[in-house]
Amino acid sequence: MSRAVLVDLTRCIGCRSCQVACKSWNDNPAEQTKCLGAYDNPPSFSADTWTVVQFNEVEQADRLQWVFAKRQCMHCEHPGCVAVCTVGALTKTPEGPVVYEASRCIGCRYCQYGCPFGVPSFEWDKPLGLIRKCTFCVDRAEEGYETACVKACPTDALTMGTRHEMISEAHRRINARPHKYHGHIYGEKEAGGTSWLYISPVPFEELGFPMLDGEPMDYASSVIMNATPVTLAAAVGVLSGLYWLTKKKSQAAEEEG
Amino acid sequence: MTNHWCDLQNSDCILIIGSNAAENHPISFKWVTKAMEENGATLISVDPRLTRSSSKADIYAAMRSGTDIAFVGGMIRWVLKDMEQNPGRYNMTYVREYTNAAFLIDPEFKGAPDLDGKFSGFSPGDADPNFGKYDKSTWTWQKDQNGIPLKDPTLQDPNCVFQLLKKQFERYDPETVCGVTGTDLEIYLQVCETYAHRSGPRGRSGTIMYAMGTTQHTHGTQNIRSYSILQLLLGNIGVAGGGINALRGEANVQGSTDHCLLYHILPGYLAPPNAAQPMLQDHLDAKLAGFATFDPKSASWWLNYPKYFVSLLKSWYGDNATEANDFGYEWLPKLNPGTNYSHIPLFEAMAKGDIKGLFCWGQNPAVGGPNSNAERGALKNLDWLVSVDLWETETGAFWQDPAAGGAAGIQTEVFALPAAAAYEKEGSVVNSGRWSQWRWQAVDALGEALPDLDIIKELMVELVDLYEKDGGAVPDPITKLRWKGWYDANPLPRGADSLVDLVSREINGWAETTIKNDDGSVRYDEGKLMGTFGHLMADGSTSSSNWLYTQSYNETDGNRQKWRDNVDYHPAGIGLYSKWSWCWPINRRIIYNRASVDLDGNPWDEEDFVIRWTGPEGNWEGDVPDGGWAPMNMEGTRYPFIMKPEGFAHIFGPGRTDGPFPEHYEPMESPLNPHPFSGTQNNPAITIWRPDEFGTPDEYPIVATTYRVTEHWQAGAMTRNMPWLVELMPEMFIEMSVELAAELGINNAEVVTIESKRGSIQAAAIITKRFKPFTIMGKTVHQIGMPWHWGFKGLSVGDSANKLTPHVGDANTTIPEYKAFLVRVKKGGVE
Repeated sequence: MSRAVLVDLTRCIGCRSCQVACKSWNDNPAEQTKCLGAYDNPPSFSADTWTVVQFNEVEQADRLQWVFAKRQCMHCEHPGCVAVCTVGALTKTPEGPVVYEASRCIGCRYCQYGCPFGVPSFEWDKPLGLIRKCTFCVDRAEEGYETACVKACPTDALTMGTRHEMISEAHRRINARPHKYHGHIYGEKEAGGTSWLYISPVPFEELGFPMLDGEPMDYASSVIMNATPVTLAAAVGVLSGLYWLTKKKSQAAEEEG
Repeated sequence: MTNHWCDLQNSDCILIIGSNAAENHPISFKWVTKAMEENGATLISVDPRLTRSSSKADIYAAMRSGTDIAFVGGMIRWVLKDMEQNPGRYNMTYVREYTNAAFLIDPEFKGAPDLDGKFSGFSPGDADPNFGKYDKSTWTWQKDQNGIPLKDPTLQDPNCVFQLLKKQFERYDPETVCGVTGTDLEIYLQVCETYAHRSGPRGRSGTIMYAMGTTQHTHGTQNIRSYSILQLLLGNIGVAGGGINALRGEANVQGSTDHCLLYHILPGYLAPPNAAQPMLQDHLDAKLAGFATFDPKSASWWLNYPKYFVSLLKSWYGDNATEANDFGYEWLPKLNPGTNYSHIPLFEAMAKGDIKGLFCWGQNPAVGGPNSNAERGALKNLDWLVSVDLWETETGAFWQDPAAGGAAGIQTEVFALPAAAAYEKEGSVVNSGRWSQWRWQAVDALGEALPDLDIIKELMVELVDLYEKDGGAVPDPITKLRWKGWYDANPLPRGADSLVDLVSREINGWAETTIKNDDGSVRYDEGKLMGTFGHLMADGSTSSSNWLYTQSYNETDGNRQKWRDNVDYHPAGIGLYSKWSWCWPINRRIIYNRASVDLDGNPWDEEDFVIRWTGPEGNWEGDVPDGGWAPMNMEGTRYPFIMKPEGFAHIFGPGRTDGPFPEHYEPMESPLNPHPFSGTQNNPAITIWRPDEFGTPDEYPIVATTYRVTEHWQAGAMTRNMPWLVELMPEMFIEMSVELAAELGINNAEVVTIESKRGSIQAAAIITKRFKPFTIMGKTVHQIGMPWHWGFKGLSVGDSANKLTPHVGDANTTIPEYKAFLVRVKKGGVE
């Protein structure tokens, strides 16, 4: 049975226990951050930051809502990152997690372009950088434990179970209190379905979630991969160069700022 | 808390005011969420800005800092008016029978509507006639020839508390209230109606969750009084999902208050003696006079005071405490009557050079104290300072303050004693719900760090040695303590296996001699643990260093604070978990619970009852009842509010220094002068120490408040040294509205300067829609907010918000007015 996490944004209080629990369990170091004019920090995923809570001020019908959304690898049912990985470093396990085998990785970073959620992060600071991302705490799962973030959540905004159970639970909650939810279950269909599922008080486009159709990402990716391997490789090269430049620029801006 | 964390789940309506519980007590939202999802509860959040708590609320009402009494006073008025229209929506039996609403007040009493915002008995002070003291002799009820309060059960007599309450708040109409608080009128009316109608009817309950946003004002105590009055009118005290729930700001602050962290109490909320009470009997007589009752139906529990007091003396002085020497009463320090020994006056005394030495034990006033420039300055006058902490704090390192120009000229000798952290030691932690939970040691402390208990033990044994060897001016208060030869004995006395175990047994108390029953059989052998505070004696035969905790440690089943059975055994399944840890008093989880039933002992709420009477020959079922007496309609009963001499909850509360009813006053620094409720601008019963250090709105037009964030802890030593937390909240910041930022030309994330009459600081700007400008009596008033976690030591350093806050406090407690003051804001850093 494929396991999943249901993230209920009506329950999340934005305490970020999940962010700290993730760093703590995975022994990931803290980043040097600064106040960027909001509570969000670090501002995005990185090799050392696999989950971040986004603080969204959403104004709807004259009512201001502050909606907190934990983001991490969605552990897609048909992951694009796995499809584009030429060396089989990334695999989707039947239990749900999309896992990464570092010894196989050649650092090509195709996976970054195969992912519609911007999840895989590259260790830019290391000469032989690797890809880093949320592991779905496979090491904990082997011992029968829930993920570190689920364990730490004080309000049960994160609930773990089989994917089937979590979808049912999402429907149950929406039906029980329809006025509290925007009815959509994000991840039920998006990108062919994901192991992380979200329900929210506001539409997901207000939270910056990518608007995807139900087409599996491995299908989309494999079509591209098969049709235009050379073009893609070139594009990847150009884009990663751009990414590197942008990152350098933003780092420089931060240092000056 | 009258109730406890898990009980929030039973509420029908939750009002969070003066608290940002989601931020500062995240676990509370496990239960708030449960109440909302499973009990259909409505959540109301009242706060100057939309907080993490407000983000979950059904109704969010914005309120200018420092205007709680206007806000809640208006709610009280709304309820009183609605009671006349719709009495069936309220529990009038509760109001009439369990509160003092029916009491007839002394006709000489005059209230705020009669005296332009003051109460009868005010005499102005010499320095400033706006501030003085009350003679409270008219704040009392009429009594019959037997000394029993006179009542009008119809609640119609113009001198009864109910009518006086109506008169008190008649001025608090919704329009005037919103003019003062800045709340949107429509939302305000929605709050009034929702809270009253969701929690007022029989069988419904509403809870108020509050914290430092309520207390840290010059009228903080009266803020809480206003909440209590509202709760009593709605029958919400004593019931499941109800109560008046103070969310304590630290994991063990309830325990520290219970065990007398503050100067105005001894352990178990006994009173420290004062210099006008030279003998034990003088002290006991003075206290007992206040607890006297002539009503046979009133328990007036505090009449047991002498038993608890003498048992405390016996606990402290052991065999040295005898009847002949007043059980060592003369060795207790005596307060000078009328002298205030709280935080602010202590620092004023240091500033004057009257206090020469200071122990700072897990406290960091250089960051956490009000007007921290002044308090850091006062530290320089000390001869010595001992800082007991996990890290070198700004207080221990005050002489390094980069803003104060270095250590030159500072002669203070500073000692740093490294303390063990919570997980490096064993002991009890008492949470807001009064649960005393044992905590085991997880890891060894680093280096020379020791648990606080070991530090104080070693220090005191050394002090006793020195006094015994060298003598001293008054050695007995030190040398007569049961300390040397007791805490350092090997093996430890009375079967204790560690120092913390010994202290825990000692808190519970022992039979100090063999105690016999009336028939001559032995009730307790000498040295056995006392089973209940009902057995404590005033003759020196028992000891207990905190009567409230008697029963926490038991001869039969040991240390009950270690209980970890998470099954709920309550017959209604209301989540009492009464075998998880131990709760004072006598494991009663919801206090005043005899108010949760009608006069026959039937619960107001059949489904979620706390206790119920189970028949004519029966007993109480459910929680431990507040006294086991039969219901009110039966023989041998007692009124439910057993800690009050008359047995009734106080809607009219004569015990406070600043009035029997709450009355709106502006914070000492306010953008609104005059205000529309009266010509009395500020709480007239407060003390002014620094009259020249208050700013005016022409110079400082912006209202400011301070608060905490989830990611940091208090004065920051524990979290600003923790990289994973610093990463989340890396810098001191200020939150301001989009509108204010536009007026001042400030961009998001840029550095700004914030100035008050007392200091200036800089911080990064967070420009947010969550702060909105207020319209106060027709004029736009801006408010900003800042966390107060930062200082100059640690991994993350920044300016301390308390450089801006005033050295003034509440009329009853002197808790500083951290939560409402005036500033101006400028683009750019401090010049």
